[in-house]
Parts: sequence; structure tokens; C-alpha cells
Amino acid sequence: MDAVERENLDRQKRWAKEQKVGEGAYAVVYRGREFSTGRRVAIKKIKVGQFKDGLDMSAIREVKYLRELKHRNVIELLDVFSNKTNLNLVLEFLDSDLEMIIKDRSLVFLPADIKSWMAMTFRGLEFCHRNFILHRDLKPNNLLIASDGHLKIADFGLARDFADPGFKMTCQVITRWYRPPELLFGARYYSSAVDIWSVGCIFAELMLRTPYLAGESDMDQLKTIFRALGTPTEQEWPGHTKLPDYVPVGQFPKTPLRDLFTAASTDTLGLLSKCLLYEPRKRVSAAEALQHPYFYAIPHPTHPLKLPKCTTQMAPRPLGEVDGDGNVDDDVDMTGSGGTFGAGVKSGLGPGVKSGAPNNTNKGRLKRKITSPMEGADGDMSARTRSIARKLDFTKERYVKSP
Amino acid sequence: MNEAAVGVIRKTFEAYEPGSSSNVSFVNAHEEHLLVTFYVHKISQLCGHFRFPEEVEATATSYLKRFYLKNTVMDWHPKSVMLTALFLATKTTNNPISLDVYASHIPNTVASDVLDLEFLVAQSLAFEFAVWHTHRALWGIWLDIQNLPDSLPDISKTQGSIYESALIHVRAARLTDAEFMYTPSQIALACISLTAPDLAKKWLESKENIPLPENRTDIPPRPSATTLFASIEAIKSIITNAGKVPDVEAVREVDRRLRTCKNPEKVVGTKAYLARKAEAEKKAEEKKNKKAEIQKASGAADTDPFGDPLSEPVKPGLVDYDDDDDDD
Repeated sequence: MDAVERENLDRQKRWAKEQKVGEGAYAVVYRGREFSTGRRVAIKKIKVGQFKDGLDMSAIREVKYLRELKHRNVIELLDVFSNKTNLNLVLEFLDSDLEMIIKDRSLVFLPADIKSWMAMTFRGLEFCHRNFILHRDLKPNNLLIASDGHLKIADFGLARDFADPGFKMTCQVITRWYRPPELLFGARYYSSAVDIWSVGCIFAELMLRTPYLAGESDMDQLKTIFRALGTPTEQEWPGHTKLPDYVPVGQFPKTPLRDLFTAASTDTLGLLSKCLLYEPRKRVSAAEALQHPYFYAIPHPTHPLKLPKCTTQMAPRPLGEVDGDGNVDDDVDMTGSGGTFGAGVKSGLGPGVKSGAPNNTNKGRLKRKITSPMEGADGDMSARTRSIARKLDFTKERYVKSP
Repeated sequence: MNEAAVGVIRKTFEAYEPGSSSNVSFVNAHEEHLLVTFYVHKISQLCGHFRFPEEVEATATSYLKRFYLKNTVMDWHPKSVMLTALFLATKTTNNPISLDVYASHIPNTVASDVLDLEFLVAQSLAFEFAVWHTHRALWGIWLDIQNLPDSLPDISKTQGSIYESALIHVRAARLTDAEFMYTPSQIALACISLTAPDLAKKWLESKENIPLPENRTDIPPRPSATTLFASIEAIKSIITNAGKVPDVEAVREVDRRLRTCKNPEKVVGTKAYLARKAEAEKKAEEKKNKKAEIQKASGAADTDPFGDPLSEPVKPGLVDYDDDDDDD
């Protein structure tokens, strides 16, 4: 046997595959363990044989970037080995993702919880950007949560490194609801600001508990954005009408964020609005965001261990939602393939802005949030209200769950 | 490495045809190196043909050289590995082209020739796809040189040839092993120094007085100027001495001898190849039978409601490393 094959087998022998936890068109995820330590891991087996061009681009991207990145808020790639025609990525095991937590109606988020998740997201993202990597698919579903509460950015299947000035990149990236307006207008030159917009959408979603800008098509997405934030003017966003796919989508007035985010503090809305600025060059950077007064104001971010945790087990989640777009590359015009983005329009959730205001089911929740003393409460106070809020919710959870 | 490989192949020869290895003249480490270097040069020609960006070319050459840190040309001929390394590099650098188009531009090559080795190459690289390139470092230093306080405002126009000729040295450096011993920025600086020694020195001196960022424990201590100059000089001599395309005649001679000393297990049609293939098939067959038996056993247990509850259920898939997809 060749030295290389032997080495591969040695790597393989370090890990035990246990039960299957998820399956998608291009990969199967198993729960597993490291033999020597018993440490839990996730093994993502990528089926390679089916691709006519060999190893597929999203697998290559994921391996390439995760091999380079090591940070507390970025998922760790522990090992890679191959077996027959499959590529196996050994990743750290993470119980849940932020989408599950947002959707778990039994949980109440305190402003300090949201601040903690945002801080971890920005830290992980700042690390990616500092290493010249654009993620290009940030959404709650790709922010995984470890059992100790730490948030980790995952799924680098669409990532790429910063292009040189003048080098075209594809605009068919980022799941639609989290896609910034410059990409919807077909910008082929863009920056780390695209990821910041996504983070802004996630920030809003954490407060609303429902996707903030949920457009039904790429065109509707622009309309949804403008309805929420007002149609941009030439002053606000110089040159946007010159973007390749620019189309006027109607004039919408600017409504203050305060109207929708009634309970949020001024600092909160200050940072949110900086993430959702139309002009990409003015949008806050991850490093700047971490210095924003929001993160220094009271309440301080919740310790990760004390963050709300998902009460439900991680259900096998569909993988590779952007399948079919996994092969987007920057030289090939992929126009028209965007339809698969944001696949599976989530049922049961009213879009945050689409209907102008959260629908009735949401209203009840928002009210509960409003009544809990929020920003400005001292530590003691928030701890006390939290325990009450949690208690309330646990009863509700039991009620829902008991047969 | 070469000795170990020769040992293994000699054994293989002997195993199938005793006495046959005595008159085989194996290629030595130097000759292996010569052959690989020649194909590094070939990559550069192919990239010119495809008009691939510099990054693809640089990545593919690193892949090819790294591959032969762990393999021998007697097992895998660099001609085939080169094609796979280049194809893989187009993908890892985000410049993918369709395999069919790629293969159709290369004479006597079909798509499967390229794909068959893809896993082997990826494995040999330990799936480390990212490569930090010297030409990027060169560009960075060149931009920085233009910012030196006393450099002429139009230096990029008047002295642009410095960059161009340094880039030629960078390309020559790709034919050497410098990248295995020195960092990209050190090699880049050496290339500038080969062209404009004074400028390189001036730039390096301008960096000496910059204080290190405080409270950073993750930055290794800065090497002294003497150490750095010594490294630069060493790289310069590597590039001058080894940064050359090998003589075609010498390469042809090695290649001719290589035909006689290839690992017989890897040459289609030889006794050893057939024996190995038969063995692999036998193993696969055994595994299949074992799997079927296990399934039968567990299936039987399922159907028997009074099955012995004490017997350990067989758990297929737990330690079965070759376990293929459960659902295919």
C-alpha cells in the first residue's frame, strides 16, 4: 500500500462513525466520536462520485477555507479523509443552530442574549474578514450553537477570498432573504459589506423572531427591502442606478426602524441601521461593529453558558440548501439560477416586513418582550425577570409537549 | 524516500518474478527530481495555452511538487499527476473549467485520466488546498516600495522593469524547492534583490525600526537583520543555480529508464498488476458476503420475536471503515 493511502487510513481510524443525523443531495452527516478521547464529532460525508467534474466546488471551498481558519466562533475542521469515492470532513459537533433557537417558541430572548449572539457572530466574521475570506451565505441556519452556548459560523461552501480590485465575482450568492441590495442589483464587484448586511438581517430576526426581509422572489426581495427601509436616493447610495441589473421598483417612504423595533434601545438600532446601510462602503465593518457602543452598554452580553438553549433535539436538517448553486463560480454567468436560493419558503412564519407589521401570532410574543424590563435594567433585575420569563415559558413548553 | 520506494518496488518485482529486479536500474532521487522539475515547467506551458491566471499556475506547481514529497515517479508518472494537479488547482483557486473542455485540449487524454488521480492527489496534499504565493508577496512588497519616503513619485513607471524582472525570478523560483524552506515574502524579497539589491536593502531597512505591536503574543519574534540577509542570500543562490528548466535530453533519458523500473503493480497488464487486481476483487467480494451475512443475521433476529436477547447485536457500520453509503 502507498504511504499516502496508509496515512489516509490512519486518519480514518481515528474517528468512529455512529448514526446518521442528516442527509442532503450532496452530503450525509453522521454523528461520530474520536476513538482516543471519546470526543463527539460530526462527520460530513460528501458524495463525490456523482459529479462529472470530480471533487465539487463547494466541498473544495469548505475544505480550503476551514483548513485555514481556527477561531472560537468558526466551526473547526478537525480532519479530512477519503474513502472510496467519498470525501469525509470531520467537524466539531454542534447541537443546534440559531434558526432552531429563533423558531423555538418556548424560548424568550433577552436583549442581553441577542447581544451575546451578535458579539459572537461579529467576532467570527471579523476573523474571516481579517483573513480575507468572504462567507457569502450567512443566515441563522448557518450559525451553529455548541453545547456550551458558543456560536460558530459554519458552511463555507460559497466562501471565497477577497478578489483583487477589478476582478469580477458572481452576484448569485447569499440566501435571498439575507442578500444585500447591491447583489440583487447584480453588482459584480463587492466587498465584505455583503456579509454585514446578512448579519444585520439576522440581528433584526433575533428581535422579531421571524425573518425580517422575506422576499418571495429576487424582485420582490428588493421591494421588501425598500418597503422596510425606504427607497434609496442617489445621495444615500451614489451610483446604484448604474448597477448592471438596476430596475426601479417603486418609491417607498422611509419609516424609522423604531416603528417596528419598538422595544429596542437606541444603541441597538444605531448598530442595526449601520449594518443595513444601502451604500456598501459606508456599512459598518465587523471590526468597527465590535467597537460599537451597543456592545459596551448595559445590559452586558449574556455568558454563552446561560444563553437560551434549544429544547428540541436537532432534527435531521436538509443539507446543502443551495445545491445546484454549489457550483457557482465567478467567471460563469449564472443568471437565472438564483431561483433555488432561499429554497423552501418557510411555512407558518409571516415575513417580518412583507405584511408591514408582524402578524398576530407574533404580536403576542412581542408584547411579552416589551413588558420585560429591557435595556438599562441592572444585572440583578434582568436576572430576576429572566427566571420568571423562563419559568413562564417552560410551563408553556410542557403544555405543548405533553400528550 | 527514493531508497524506500526502490526497496518496495524491488520487492514487488521479486515477489512476482524472482530474480527479475537484479538487472533493473532504478531511477535515483536526483533523477526523480529532474523529471518532476521538467513537468513543473510543462505546467507553465499548459497554463499559457489555457490562459489560466498566474495563481492557477503557481498553485498547480506547488501541488505537483508537494505530491512528490510523498510519492515516487516510479509509482505515478508526473505526466498524469501534472494534469490532475492542474485541474485541481483550477478548482481550488476558483477558476473552474469543465473537465471535458480541459481534457479535450490535451492530446491523448480523456476525462477519466484526470479524475482517476484526483483523490490521490488531494490525499497527498493532506487536503491543504490553500497555497500562499510568492507572486502575491512580490506585488505587496512592490506596492510598499512605492510608498518608501524617498522613492520617486513615478517609480512605478520609471522603474516598472524592476517588478517585471523580479517576477521572472519568482517564476524561476517555482522550479526550485525554495518554497519548502522559505516563506513567500522572503523569496519575493530575494527576487527583488536579484534585480535591484539596493532597493531590497532599503526596503528591508525601512522595516527595521517599526515597533512590534504591543500585547501580541501570537506574533513570533522578528528575525535579526543578519539572519534575514543570510536567508535572502541563500534563496538567491538557489534561484540562480536551480531555477532552470532541465535539459530535455537528460529528462528523456530518465523517462526511458523509468519505463523499465516502474512499479509493476501499477502498470496495466503485468503479472503483478493482475495479481493485485484479483486480490482487491477477492477482498471486495469477501466484504460483500460478510455484509450480506450480517444483514441476514440481523434480519433473522428481527423476524424472530423470541430471539436470544443476550446475543450482542452486530452493528454494521460502526467500525466498518470501507462502509459505503448505507443507502446506495
